[in-house]
Amino acid sequence: MPNAAISLRLQINGHLHDLTVEPRVTLLDALREQFGLTGTKKGCDQGQCGACTVHVDGQRVLACLTLAAQVEGRTVTTIEGLGEEALHPVQAAFLEHDAFQCGYCTPGQIMSAVACIREGHAGTDDEIREYMSGNLCRCGAYPNIVAAIRQAAEASR
Amino acid sequence: MTPRSDVLTESRTKRGDAGDGRALGARITRVDGLAKVRGAATYSLEHRPADLAHAVLVGSTIAAGRVRRVDQSEAEKAPGVRLILTPDTIPALKTASNWLGERPSEGPYHALTHEIGFQGQHVAAVVADTLEQAVEAARLVTIEYDVAPAVADLRDSRAGAGTEVEAMTIAWGDAEAALEAAPAKIRREYTTPREYNVPIEPHGLIAEWQDEDHLTIWEPSQWIAGMARTYAEWFEIPYENLRMISPYIGGGFGSKALAYSYGAIAAQAAKLLGRPVKLAVTRPQTFTAYGGRAETRQEIALGATLEGKLLAIHHRAANETSTTGTWVERCGGTIAIMYATPNFSSKHRVVPVNTVLPSAFRAPGENPSAWGIESAIDELAYEIGLDPLAIRLLNYAEHDHQANLPWSSRQLREAFAAGAERFGWSKRSPAPRSMRAGSQLIGWGVAAGTYPMRRTPGQAIVRLLADGAVEVLSAAIDMGQGTYTILAQTAAEALAVPVERVAVRLGDSSMPWAPVGGGSQLANLMVGAVHKAALAARDELIGLALNDPKSPLRHLQANTLPVGDGRIGDLEIGAFLAAIGRDHIEVLRDTFAENGKSADDPFKTYTTITGGRTTTDNGYSAHSWCAHFIEVRVDEDFGTVRVSRVVSAFDCGRIFNPKLAESQWKGGIIQGIGQALLEEGVVDRRHGRVINNNLGDYLIPTNADVPDIEVISVGVPDFHATMLGGKGVGEVPIVGVAPAIANAVFHATGKRIRDLPITLDKLIG
Repeated sequence: MPNAAISLRLQINGHLHDLTVEPRVTLLDALREQFGLTGTKKGCDQGQCGACTVHVDGQRVLACLTLAAQVEGRTVTTIEGLGEEALHPVQAAFLEHDAFQCGYCTPGQIMSAVACIREGHAGTDDEIREYMSGNLCRCGAYPNIVAAIRQAAEASR
Repeated sequence: MTPRSDVLTESRTKRGDAGDGRALGARITRVDGLAKVRGAATYSLEHRPADLAHAVLVGSTIAAGRVRRVDQSEAEKAPGVRLILTPDTIPALKTASNWLGERPSEGPYHALTHEIGFQGQHVAAVVADTLEQAVEAARLVTIEYDVAPAVADLRDSRAGAGTEVEAMTIAWGDAEAALEAAPAKIRREYTTPREYNVPIEPHGLIAEWQDEDHLTIWEPSQWIAGMARTYAEWFEIPYENLRMISPYIGGGFGSKALAYSYGAIAAQAAKLLGRPVKLAVTRPQTFTAYGGRAETRQEIALGATLEGKLLAIHHRAANETSTTGTWVERCGGTIAIMYATPNFSSKHRVVPVNTVLPSAFRAPGENPSAWGIESAIDELAYEIGLDPLAIRLLNYAEHDHQANLPWSSRQLREAFAAGAERFGWSKRSPAPRSMRAGSQLIGWGVAAGTYPMRRTPGQAIVRLLADGAVEVLSAAIDMGQGTYTILAQTAAEALAVPVERVAVRLGDSSMPWAPVGGGSQLANLMVGAVHKAALAARDELIGLALNDPKSPLRHLQANTLPVGDGRIGDLEIGAFLAAIGRDHIEVLRDTFAENGKSADDPFKTYTTITGGRTTTDNGYSAHSWCAHFIEVRVDEDFGTVRVSRVVSAFDCGRIFNPKLAESQWKGGIIQGIGQALLEEGVVDRRHGRVINNNLGDYLIPTNADVPDIEVISVGVPDFHATMLGGKGVGEVPIVGVAPAIANAVFHATGKRIRDLPITLDKLIG
């Protein structure tokens, strides 16, 4: 029975969750369908748009190309866990700079941006553009996204 | 949210003052932004009803022919499978009326058919307990076809010339004779490929029946009323039994205004199973579940004096459509009004090919039309030896030559001036290939854009609550254009309360009517409706204060009373309402009268597109305008094109929130960059199939493709256009971007590309 359900214990946003799913369930579908953490978005389900970006052990990862079973024993952070009380500075900067319109790519952009700054890849506007190019935005908020990340990166130094 | 203390002033309403620091015109942060940056904005497919089943579509692998047999025996045995719908098993629905309110036939509608008209057409749907089970079972469905020859696209030799669309013919003077006699002339062909809307939220829906004649649809929707009508008619239930819910829309750009066959399939599955069904269209399926912008072809001839003054414009256009329906990508729009010409002729044809029916994509019609004329006028400038900006000013249309009417407002000359100044156009070296930086050839291009004012009445409820807060209710939608925000600003302005005291609720068919959120009309018409309702609510409050026997303010015997910041006179609104025994005041208003329309048939007004006004119905021709100035850098050896600088100036009338309008303008420009350099549905002619049906192969701009973009507003309040003086913002910014880039590429390289997109193979060949 290749698809017999397996039991997982996942650490998501600082909380432990027990989950029984088929082994083929992706982290993205587990977050959205099982846990109701719908802040992580499904834009393509094939690793091309970045809308599902989350952090696994602090690194940005595409949840649609990650099986839920792969993150057992690791730390998962989603947009809902980024700034539970006050807004994370990157969230606040996105709001201030109007770095989105429809908002659908936004959680992925923000998760990518937080990691981009942490990686040290937000030194110049061109560097931000390059290291944020895995996250597509069809509304075309890119100039405002760059402005938001620039501000958050400068504040973090 | 940005706290705003400067809107807490007394109640008064000024019209016409854009950006005066009050609520309307202020740079207020998006009111739905907090939910969006927290991941707390719940989009339609994120609704989680109990006992949800998942549907997965199976698409045709042929472009034309017939389904001979569907073998579902293996799929039926797969774990979790509850239902398989095929052309053999799907029940008939009633044929719904179209967006004109016309029913194409009285016969039945089958959402799955044996007849195949395009590759990717839905052939079966598998419903299972989990998404994973449905995906696997869908792979086990085997389909046998009788294959017929397919016409792949507009360039297919079998496509033929198609059919002329009489209603698209525009003519004055004698264009052919004037062209023949003109001392200077050019004749060129311009083409655009299939282009796709590609909102980052894919389409789909959740359908749930409450009982046998009450259906709720959670689906991203640019047009709640229109889509609700379609579902209600398919299932022959009263319109009011159909609830359509779409609180947030993850982008649409024209693609989320209609109910498509997958919606019928999901709702049928939900009915047959007696449980809610979610159908999420996959990213590859979004290229065939509905259509994008049709491929177009335009032949343009310009005749002019040797000084560059236009004598004639002659235009013949065609677009592809499907074999089962007609989509007109109206290429005569921009070209008929942009420049002054004494002689004009435009005709348009549609050519059926084996594709999904094309549909609306940002600035449908005006966009390809501008690609043609704004390229051609540039070619004429070089032909004659004029500056590309100078030829545009020389032929400036002082009025609408097509309608022979004055413009409601046209600040295009101001847009050219402001853009040229900021861009530094006067420093341009005129000759092609005369500006470079190392191996980079530098080119500067200009082009104009326009989009007509579409106007339909709207309706809104405004409620004044006991705690001084305000609610605004409408079935209008917000797909990112900022409807939530500017309607909050409108009510705040009219009632003199802080914006954060206004709660706006949208995207639900149980709320007051709104027409389609498309054609750049929604913001302006809903601002008008909410403003009217808010003022009426204020008047009702004052009336009660002056006249209600229980009113503590009655003794003042005043003619009126100040309302603002949660107070009437010196009383808290809550205390006043308590005194007269009310817990809120609610008014509903529509704007039929203000738009000169009959209020006899609101259902038809809002559920079809026939309720709108024309662009010229009040004796003025109303349009938004823009001018784009763009720099490109082309690698001389590799032919790669980078857009390195953009300055665009816009006349969109009064701007209700510059922060949000600027975002929309930049976004439209960026989609235009994609159209110019990247976007093309690549058709495999052997199989009639778009092969790059994913985001790794159908390229849209990434962050690294986009330079700094400067946008400038040169608009003035235009009360001939709309009630509060605004004009459309959303569509116009994409119009003219692609020709501005092509014009810049010509200036850089001396190569004129007339076939979009401008890819390196066309430049190094």
